[in-house]
Amino acid sequence: MQRLLAIAWLTWKAAFRFRLFIVVAVLLLASVVALPILIKDDGTARGFTQILLTYTLSTITALLGLSTLWLACGTLARDIEDCQIQVVAVKPIARWQIWLGKWLGIMSLNAALLFISGASVYALLQWRAGRLPADEQKVLRNEVLVSRGSAKIPTMEKEIEAQTEEVLQDRIKKRPVENAYLPEVKKQIREQVKADLQVVPPGYSRQWEIELGPAHRYLRDQPLFLRVKFNSAEKSPSGTFDGVFGAGVPRKTQLWRSDMLSLAPDTFHEIEITPNCFDENGVLTLTFGNPNTTALLFPLEDGVEVLYREGGFGLNFVRGLTIIFCWMGVLAALGLAAASFLSFTVAAFFSMGVLAMVLCSGTLANAVSEGTIGGYNAETGSKPGTAADTVIIPAFKAVLKVINLAKDFSPVDSLSTGRTISWGTLGVAFGRIILLLAGIIALFGIAVFTRRELATAQGTQ
Amino acid sequence: MSSAILEPTPRANTESASSNGETVISVRGLTKVFKDFWGRAKARAVDNVDFEVKRGEVFGLLGPNGSGKSTTVKLLLGLLYPTKGHIQVFGHSPRHVATKSRIGYLPEESYLYRYLNSRETLEFFGNLFHLDSADRRNRTEQLLEMVGLSQARLRAVGEFSKGMQRRIGLAQALINDPDLVILDEPTSGLDPIGCREVKDLILALARRGKTVILSSHLLSDVEDVCDRVVIYYGGKIQAMGTLKELLATPDAIQITTPALPRATMERVLELILKDVAEDKVRIDTPTKNLESYFLGVVQNARAAAAQTSGAMSGARVAAYLRGDAEQASQGEKILERLSAAAPAPIAPVAPLRPADTVDENKLAALAQTSEPAPAPKTEPEKAVELEKANEKLSSLLGKPKQ
Repeated sequence: MQRLLAIAWLTWKAAFRFRLFIVVAVLLLASVVALPILIKDDGTARGFTQILLTYTLSTITALLGLSTLWLACGTLARDIEDCQIQVVAVKPIARWQIWLGKWLGIMSLNAALLFISGASVYALLQWRAGRLPADEQKVLRNEVLVSRGSAKIPTMEKEIEAQTEEVLQDRIKKRPVENAYLPEVKKQIREQVKADLQVVPPGYSRQWEIELGPAHRYLRDQPLFLRVKFNSAEKSPSGTFDGVFGAGVPRKTQLWRSDMLSLAPDTFHEIEITPNCFDENGVLTLTFGNPNTTALLFPLEDGVEVLYREGGFGLNFVRGLTIIFCWMGVLAALGLAAASFLSFTVAAFFSMGVLAMVLCSGTLANAVSEGTIGGYNAETGSKPGTAADTVIIPAFKAVLKVINLAKDFSPVDSLSTGRTISWGTLGVAFGRIILLLAGIIALFGIAVFTRRELATAQGTQ
Repeated sequence: MSSAILEPTPRANTESASSNGETVISVRGLTKVFKDFWGRAKARAVDNVDFEVKRGEVFGLLGPNGSGKSTTVKLLLGLLYPTKGHIQVFGHSPRHVATKSRIGYLPEESYLYRYLNSRETLEFFGNLFHLDSADRRNRTEQLLEMVGLSQARLRAVGEFSKGMQRRIGLAQALINDPDLVILDEPTSGLDPIGCREVKDLILALARRGKTVILSSHLLSDVEDVCDRVVIYYGGKIQAMGTLKELLATPDAIQITTPALPRATMERVLELILKDVAEDKVRIDTPTKNLESYFLGVVQNARAAAAQTSGAMSGARVAAYLRGDAEQASQGEKILERLSAAAPAPIAPVAPLRPADTVDENKLAALAQTSEPAPAPKTEPEKAVELEKANEKLSSLLGKPKQ
């Protein structure tokens, strides 16, 4: 351990003597201070706070991520290029200890920087919240500066799958479909079946039942928050659509009905529901009446959700930052692994390239969902099906699986919407991001570094 | 003082007698070929090299630049991997981590962290050797004192002159009191005082049974301290053996005496010329070597308390490197006295090597002949012969005939 700590201490010394720590800390603090001045919001305290949280945490993640990659590439590659590693590696310290010591050093630097910037963001939010009028403060502390659990409508995957199959078989009986077109036909039927479960036709209402689960036991006398988003088939001249929400079952629970609301499509809305509208089994019955002349569609994935208070913002914020810290662990491992076999400049370029690929994972996901890397016709659903697709699409799938190990956790979204990042989520994130993803990268990096001849470079001092 | 040189001067330092036969390094068929990205051979840096180094030896790797010395050193340290062949250090692979705790290494350049100061540098390397904090601090202070950098302990290594960097590099190589010290061009960049101190240190380490590998292209370094050397050229060993074996010229002798009266010289020369052709005999006055002279001048200046902002002359060898100071051998004590910074009477400057003393009796015995003395010659014959001898002596001494 003494050796590991000695290497970690060396990374600290380098970061301070080369003023990297100070520069990054100043940049982080500047972004926390400057962003509230620059960003535009919807004029509400809630909106401003949500945007502030999103922008500051995203900026912190980006800045820290870049500095982590840079430092990770530099601390090892430069040691090899400048030959200092030759004096270290001949001491009784295993190569894996050198590698891990560097990683620990970078991570402890990240912890300090994340603490400084996170504490600044937290202090800024609390300071701004404290200056708001009491009613706005209440909204803020109920909807953003809070840790909220959520319950969603069931996704009904099994039902959708069964109904899709049933409709498909009927269709095939009536009119045979060529095997080549079968997947596309099935896909379209599936979308149709799913739409039937999501659409609220004009002049109709739809009812959903949401199970609150074990949480309902402590939610008595507590307000719930309905978070909804819908799409419309047509545009409204005013840009909004009317609607009425209701909750509860007559003679079984408290009843609640909203005023006539004017809501914009394709955006999230939060509406407070009076307490005790769910039954003794924790089932909340929700209804929506559509008085418009066009159909509205509430997506099953995130169209209707109920949020409830689980705890305070502070601890949730810490858990969110810890997930960001885990991301930094992967980037540090990536930079060190690249520096284990590449020169500093090439390692930095390689790492940044991988980071860019992660940021562009949406494009990869599109290619995977379309099943081709080019030429997909969205109208007809036809695709050329080139030979390259047979290699590239599976490769993209594999890359996406790896990327999603880290990307599945989105602490910035959760924190800006006041959602709980549970200890369980944090544990899973740690396991998947640090132990699995960073672990695999680290094993590769250590193996390469252990095999590498360290005295092939001539000193550049 | 005059000297009749009949043989090249052999290495003057005493050879280490502490080698006890334990093999510290064993190299068999060692070959290193550097390859390019495509695996094509670029250079054969070391070619089928074999040697062994025993405990307590000061072993020199000698050769011109690019001959394979440094590559051999890096192979011994596990920084490069052999293409072919076998290396054992203390009976293990050079990559065996635990074995490295017995090795100290000074690379050819001071590859140290420029942002650390001297004390932090030694503390850092002490940590890598798992030294506890008290031991680490103690050794750090002693080493800084020894290499003359105690005044610069808080200066960043990056600000040091090359010589000062070599000194701190040497200190880090000794932080673990190593059993095997590998020094690659240790005197490169050092002033003559520093060179002398390093050489004294090497001898002190050898006397404690430490094994020293010295890689250098400076012949004087190797000659002054090494017991055995290998001479590299083109990656191959061209010669190997003790300096005595390599340098001795058994068919010649050298006699050095204090200045003798002319008559005695003539008698001695007359005797020698009976057995040796005139062109085989050389008589001259020995000169001090430049290193001795320089050290004397500096010691004089130090005695006059001249100020310097650079590295100080190193102090005594660090106590933990000397072993038990109370039980130090007499030879070691002499060595320490020589390397001590304490002012000493300077003028006239004396060579550090003790000059060979002249035994007048032996000289007299040499001057005598076992053969019966020739019959006394007549005065004219005597005068003619004396004239001839005088002429020969004058020509040998390079003086104009009187």
